[in-house]
Formats: sequence, C-alpha cells, structure tokens
Amino acid sequence: MDYIYDGFKEAIKLLLGFDKEVYGIIYLSLFVSTTATIISSLICIPVGIYLGIKEFKGKKAFSRTLYTFMSIPSVIVGLVVAIILSRRGPFGRFDLLYTPKAMIIAQTLLVTPLILGLTYSLSKSRGKEIEKIGITLGANKRDIIILTIKELKVDLIVNIVTAFSRAISEVGAVMIVGGNIKNRTRVITTTISMMNSMGDYPMAIALGIVLLLISFIINSAIYSYGGED
Amino acid sequence: MEISVKNLEKYYSEKQILDIEDLVIEKGKITGLIGPNGSGKSTLLNIIAGLDKDFYGVVKYDGELINKSIYKNMTLVFQKPYLFKKKVSENIGYPLKLRKVDKEEIKIRVGEIIGRFEIEDLKDKKAHLLSGGESQKVNLARALVFDPKLLLLDEPTSNIDPESIKIMEREILRFNEETKGTVLIVTHNIEQSKRLCDNLIYLDEGKVGF
Repeated sequence: MDYIYDGFKEAIKLLLGFDKEVYGIIYLSLFVSTTATIISSLICIPVGIYLGIKEFKGKKAFSRTLYTFMSIPSVIVGLVVAIILSRRGPFGRFDLLYTPKAMIIAQTLLVTPLILGLTYSLSKSRGKEIEKIGITLGANKRDIIILTIKELKVDLIVNIVTAFSRAISEVGAVMIVGGNIKNRTRVITTTISMMNSMGDYPMAIALGIVLLLISFIINSAIYSYGGED
Repeated sequence: MEISVKNLEKYYSEKQILDIEDLVIEKGKITGLIGPNGSGKSTLLNIIAGLDKDFYGVVKYDGELINKSIYKNMTLVFQKPYLFKKKVSENIGYPLKLRKVDKEEIKIRVGEIIGRFEIEDLKDKKAHLLSGGESQKVNLARALVFDPKLLLLDEPTSNIDPESIKIMEREILRFNEETKGTVLIVTHNIEQSKRLCDNLIYLDEGKVGF
C-alpha cells in the first residue's frame, strides 16, 4: 500500500513544485481539447440548430446515423485520421502526423458528432417553439438561429462541456495520431497510460488529480452559470 | 390589411379540419373568430399567420400571397405566452431590433408601451419568470410595439385576472383605432367579443357558419 501513499505524496510535490514537464503536458492537453471543442462547436451549433428545426426528407435516417456516430470509438477516429495523414495518405504531404495539429484534427472529428447530435436533438425538441415565435415577430432564418442559440445557451454550454470532457479524457485517438512523443505530443491521458504500464505512479497520479480538478472546475462553473440563468 | 381566404381545405391525417369556401377579414376592423373547441379556429389562425403551409386553397393579404414583407407586417399572439430569457424591456424591444430600428428609438417606444400596459415595475425583470397575467401583457405589448398591419390573437386573455384583461382589451382597441391595423381574435368569451369586435365569424367543424 505504501507505493500508493508515496505516489500521492510525489504527485503533490510535482504539482506544487510546478514541474515543467507535468505543466507542459497539462497545457498541451488543454490546448488540443479546447481548440478541437471550439472548432467543432462553431460549426456544429448553428448547423445542429438549423437541422433540428428544419423538416427534410430522410430526417429519421439522418437522426439514427448521427446518434450512431455520437458513440464512435476514439481509436477508430484515430485510425482514420492516421491513415489520411500518413505519408502515403491523401494529406501526407502536409506532414501533420505526430503533431498537435493532427491531435486537434482527430479530437475535432471525435467530438463533432457529439456536439452536432446533442444540439440537433435539443433543437428538435425545443427549437420549433422558438422558431414559431421568431417567425411571428418577423425574424428571418438567420435571426431564428441566433435567437435559438441564445434561448438554449445553458443547455448548449452543457453540451459543449460534455464534448470537451470526451475530448480531454480520450486516449485512443491522440495516442495513434500524436504518438505520445515527449515534449511534443504527450498529453495527460497518454502519459497516465504510459506511466501505468511503466509502474511509475507519481506522475500518473498527479495528472489524474489534474484531470479531476479540470472536470470539477468546469462543472462548478456551469452549475453556477446555469443556476444564475 | 385585408385577408381573403378561398377554397381552404386542411387535413390532419385523413380528417378534414377546415373547409372554407370564401372568407374575407375586413381591413382595419376587429373580427372575432368564435366556435366550439376543435372547430379549427387556431388552425385557421396558424394558416393565416403563415406558420402552417400544409393546406389546399389560397390565402391572400391585400391581394398578395404570403411573402417576406407580409411576415414582417403581421404577428400572432398565442394563448400560452413564450417570452425570451431576457429582461421584459428587451423582450418588448426585440421586434424593433429585428427591424433595425435605432437604439434610442427602441428605448422610447418600449418605454411608451410599457407605460400604456402599466408594467413599469416589471421592465427590468427576467421575462420568463413572470406570472401568467404579467406574461400575457408583455406578450401583447411585444406584438403591438412595431404597429403590425395584421394582429392575430389566439385567446389572449384566457386564464388571466380581470384587471389585466381590461388593460389588454383597452390596448387592442387603441391599436385598432390609432393604426387602423386589422385584428382577428379567437375568443370563447361572448362578452369580450361584444366589447371588442366589429364583426364575428362563427366556425363549426371547420366550416364558416355566419
């Protein structure tokens, strides 16, 4: 049991001592996951709102396909991105594989169905009423999308955070396309996974604590914002 | 705005909800739409408001088919108000903002209508937290603020207190008198229709009675 206790002690030391490597990993994790979530949100929220309130042929089939993609395994996304970005792949000439950019691409693709699906479902159930009111007050399509985003902002923020949580906690995609290269593409989850297999627990525990802290801070912020609204 | 309805047929699944051969809602008048529950009153209102396009027949607005400009010049007040998660004053100012009215002008016009509806104490409150009567007054104020040419009202005073009803009826009459805007109101209250309406249309099983 001592090794667990020592692991925690060492972890606290690493965090409080502002260990350069640990903080570099934390920074890259936050950077990659935040960028991926922002890119995906900017595209998927307006599109999801629009598709949710619009009636179109094959909407049921679209819903089912989208909901299926929401639970796509991260390793599959990683594999697809790795194939596309590999030297022999269609985007091989950009030399992106094993870079943070590749990790952002993979995580963007991973969270896109999630944000799109959650927004679409929200808009399908609550957007119609907002659209109806918007039309009666003279709003055009663009106004209605903006109005719906504003009206559903608390739920949309929860969706964004859900997607961010998926991004920051996944290990498969970033491991495949990033390669877990020290000081270059190593993030919290890939480090924890590697340290665990090496039996080096202090850094794994330290990063585990950080992951939990990030989750706690984000959830507290959302609950207080949602409560105020 | 004059509304003419010709050969209107509306079906839900296979059941016919509306069957109106010829109906004219006179320009500048307040017309009451009465009839039993399920007679198709709200469906007709939704069709005229351009919210329901799934019907047979023709609806014309001053001789024109529905278009963007007509949408901008009419509004529908629902029985169950939906107010945005904004302040009361922002809710009322929203249709003016959509019409790109100058900020100062919005402030003035919102202030005026808030005064007329006697809701000065509510103007900074979050609208979605108001009571039923308060919400319905804000809902009507939001509809009237841009002086629509056609005002459609779906039982706007059901389940609210007599004092609020008095204020709302007064403002509907004032709107009609001052702007000559056409009003079509669905009501179950015969006394209210006598107080407000110039004309009455009776709808029964989707057909116009008189």
